[in-house]
Amino acid sequence: MKTVFRITQGLIRSIHADLDRPHAFAGERVGFISCRQSVQSGGLAILAEGYHAVADQDYVDDPRFGAAVSGSGFRKMLSLAYGDPINVFHVHRHECRGLPGFSRTDLSESQKFIPDFWKVRPGITHGIIVLSHDSAQGLGWDPVDRRPKPIDEIQIVGMPMRWMWEA
Amino acid sequence: MDASSRQSFLGENSDALLAQAKVAIVGLCGGGSHVAQQLAHVGLGNFVLYDPDHAEMSNLNRMVGLTFAGAASGAMKTQIIHERILGVNPKANILALQADWKLNRDPLKDCIAIFGCIDSFHARLELEGFARRQMIPYIDVGMDVAGSPGNYGITGQAILSMPGYWCMRCMGYPSARRLEGEAKAYGMAGGRPQVVWPNGILASVAVDKFMRILTPWNSAPEALPCLYTEYDGTRQTLKSHSCLQALKAADKICNHFQGPGSLGDVLL
Repeated sequence: MKTVFRITQGLIRSIHADLDRPHAFAGERVGFISCRQSVQSGGLAILAEGYHAVADQDYVDDPRFGAAVSGSGFRKMLSLAYGDPINVFHVHRHECRGLPGFSRTDLSESQKFIPDFWKVRPGITHGIIVLSHDSAQGLGWDPVDRRPKPIDEIQIVGMPMRWMWEA
Repeated sequence: MDASSRQSFLGENSDALLAQAKVAIVGLCGGGSHVAQQLAHVGLGNFVLYDPDHAEMSNLNRMVGLTFAGAASGAMKTQIIHERILGVNPKANILALQADWKLNRDPLKDCIAIFGCIDSFHARLELEGFARRQMIPYIDVGMDVAGSPGNYGITGQAILSMPGYWCMRCMGYPSARRLEGEAKAYGMAGGRPQVVWPNGILASVAVDKFMRILTPWNSAPEALPCLYTEYDGTRQTLKSHSCLQALKAADKICNHFQGPGSLGDVLL
């Protein structure tokens, strides 16, 4: 099954603009993308609808991580997903160019919070996106076997169109 | 020299991008037949074609690829364009659907662009709405002839409705007058006048819009992307519609497809 993640050029610019902002103590910023899904023959399209920046006060000062989101920060997104059938994708950026990879911490921490989104919005894919300054990569957690699967293709819908394929 | 050696300026990956790309063309007569033929020539690899109609003698004046024999036999338009594409690019994958797109929408969902080459204004808006819901660029092609004997005017448009940019409604197309006129004429027999050369001009502009988003050959940023090109067949002009400057000056943001639940499948 092929999974495609579509996002407009404008939305990706907004995300980069937010992630560019320094934080008082966090080493980096993170956010969430709310998405809708479209089931396709032989696959799934995840359609990015909006970006939800993590508020300054919702970061936790934890030196183990570049950025740690508080329970309150997560609850805001959980509440959103409870009231609206959205797929939630956590997003952060690695300060590099080219196809970024997921760190061990990215994978282990995601494995902890992704199941929480199924508690409020079960049966659909939630996941994570990692950006670089000019590329992106994603993982979507399958709601059936609850394991992460690579997003096969990220499409930046704009002028020009851009594609990022899973490496 | 291979088939694409004269279009290498489109970029070193353009052949691969085109071969991998899947595009839908809805309506295969005046505008759609030209679009299909041009996309076959540039090397597009995957086509989804929609047209529920048989070819008729009255299509011979504008449908490229249609022969006298094809019109006389009443072949399906999808079959004619299917053969036309394969004649140019035997490797092309083609899904030819002899149906209204609304009865079989799924094949549209994984296309990277949808060309709407259909007559009805209401149907165009529906197709654009579907494309927006799937975050797929929609390119509309259409022409019109109006006036009275000895004083006819030919007009037309090629519009790119790109997610994240203004939609056709923002750009004032189609006008309320046209929609109202179409609603009043509902059920009346007879098609609007159509001729081959404006169809060809407008289809070329539409393909240009597609190629610009897929394989931009000039990286200089456009201050104002030409989403709406209008054609005046009397003055022989093509120009960017004045609404674009007005929309930019007003800093207008499209809100027609932005609300929660405007994207994807409806989930309860």
